[in-house]
Amino acid sequence: MQDIKDRHSLTAINEKIASLRKTTGDLENQTMDFPALQSNVKRISASIKMLELNLSDALALGLEDTP
Amino acid sequence: MDQMAHTEYWNPYLETLSRKQLEKLQLFKFKRIFAWAYSHSKFHRHLYDTAGITPDDIQSLSDVRKVPKVEKSMMQDIQNKEPFPYGDALCVPLEEVSAFRQTSGTTGQPVYQPDTWQDWEWWAECWACILWSQGYRARDRVFLPFGYNIFVAFWAGHYGAEKLGCEVVPGGVLDTQARILKIQELQATAMMATPTYVLRMADVAKNKLGIDPAGLSINKITCAGEPGAGIPATKKRMEEAFGAKVYDHSGATEIGAWSYECRHQPFGMHVNEAMFLVEIEDLETGEPITEPGKKGKMVITALDRMAQPCIRFDSKDVIQWDPDPCACGRTFRVIKGGVIGRADDITKVKGVLLSPAAVEAVVRSFDGLGDEYELVVERPGDVDHITLKVELRTGVDRSQVEPGLRDQLRLKTNLGYDLQFFEYGSLPRYKLKARRFKDLRKQNKA
Repeated sequence: MQDIKDRHSLTAINEKIASLRKTTGDLENQTMDFPALQSNVKRISASIKMLELNLSDALALGLEDTP
Repeated sequence: MDQMAHTEYWNPYLETLSRKQLEKLQLFKFKRIFAWAYSHSKFHRHLYDTAGITPDDIQSLSDVRKVPKVEKSMMQDIQNKEPFPYGDALCVPLEEVSAFRQTSGTTGQPVYQPDTWQDWEWWAECWACILWSQGYRARDRVFLPFGYNIFVAFWAGHYGAEKLGCEVVPGGVLDTQARILKIQELQATAMMATPTYVLRMADVAKNKLGIDPAGLSINKITCAGEPGAGIPATKKRMEEAFGAKVYDHSGATEIGAWSYECRHQPFGMHVNEAMFLVEIEDLETGEPITEPGKKGKMVITALDRMAQPCIRFDSKDVIQWDPDPCACGRTFRVIKGGVIGRADDITKVKGVLLSPAAVEAVVRSFDGLGDEYELVVERPGDVDHITLKVELRTGVDRSQVEPGLRDQLRLKTNLGYDLQFFEYGSLPRYKLKARRFKDLRKQNKA
């Protein structure tokens, strides 16, 4: 496994999470009249929140610069 | 071969942050959940406006103490308000609520708890972190011997195990014998239950089915709902009965799954400090306790629970920080001995603080005694009277146990007891949370 403290790796992962968030936001707006899609997009969105709790929040704080 | 299975941590980043990094994260999250509740819940807005505090007033973790605590009774009261049935602590539209749960009502009217999809993902996430630390992996077949009822119990444990990729067997409405036979048939490798029920299952396996539970394939058990897995004598009984590792966990419907014993078994539980902020207050003065080794009452914030936030909840759980870090390398602090008791259970008897957990530790350390006991405090006149009812194992004579039991109780609790001995199997058996401690002094007074 790559070094978990590798800032560049974490930043790259985080960019992909942000991209997922944007995609689900777009999909949610585009599926207002399509329950089968929108309900599943909302559930995906809840899972993306877990990615953010697991990484993005901490990265946004710049914790790597805190001792 | 799953390479990930060998990784020690569920989240190798958050679980190894330095103390300063964790505190920075906790402050950021506390401000976020506080601002969320302030702007989305009438109950919280009123509570904080009355106290004269706004989100802008939280600039450091020490400012958190300015925020009013929430008592369980307050959550019970707001359920009379709109929107039905939760009341005005609800922070999301009702149509976003996807699951109802309620507390068991052990301490009064049950509290109703709404969860959204996101909150339920969060519950499962917290449980996944717990189970991973206890060695659960995708190859495990996990048996859940609980009623899948209206209480949260092990529901989130079920989904946490699924999140890990485990194969989950819901042992819902089966009776105890059928559950044991199903564990045997499926060769389940892990299970989750209250300590009371783990011991009950061992008893039924041995005495009703003629099955040695240690011969089953269970190799790890996660306990919750009672302090038993944090009481060495009770943990030893369970581990010996099943030939399995027993791990402690503590959570609550209103809070979430906030603490866990990892597979290194540090005689305590880690607090998931990336998801929860735990404060400890002195039992009598309410002053904050930050140093290890001093017992106090837990005040807790679930930092990411959104639908019905849990901010500075007065849990009544009695805990203490462990001075030593755990060998696992996690930087999440450990509470020594787990949840030691509840502030409303620890009571003064004859001027001495009595902890029911201390009595259990003594009872379960005697091999000649069964698992069940009952502790009753009364005041028939002007003096407190404590009765301890215990069961003798088959073939054991009272004289073999009584002198040692009396001495140990005196030594460990500084109190004298009216000891009553019963035949094995006479005292009540429980399936979920046991009610073995009864303080009848208020009734005596009436």
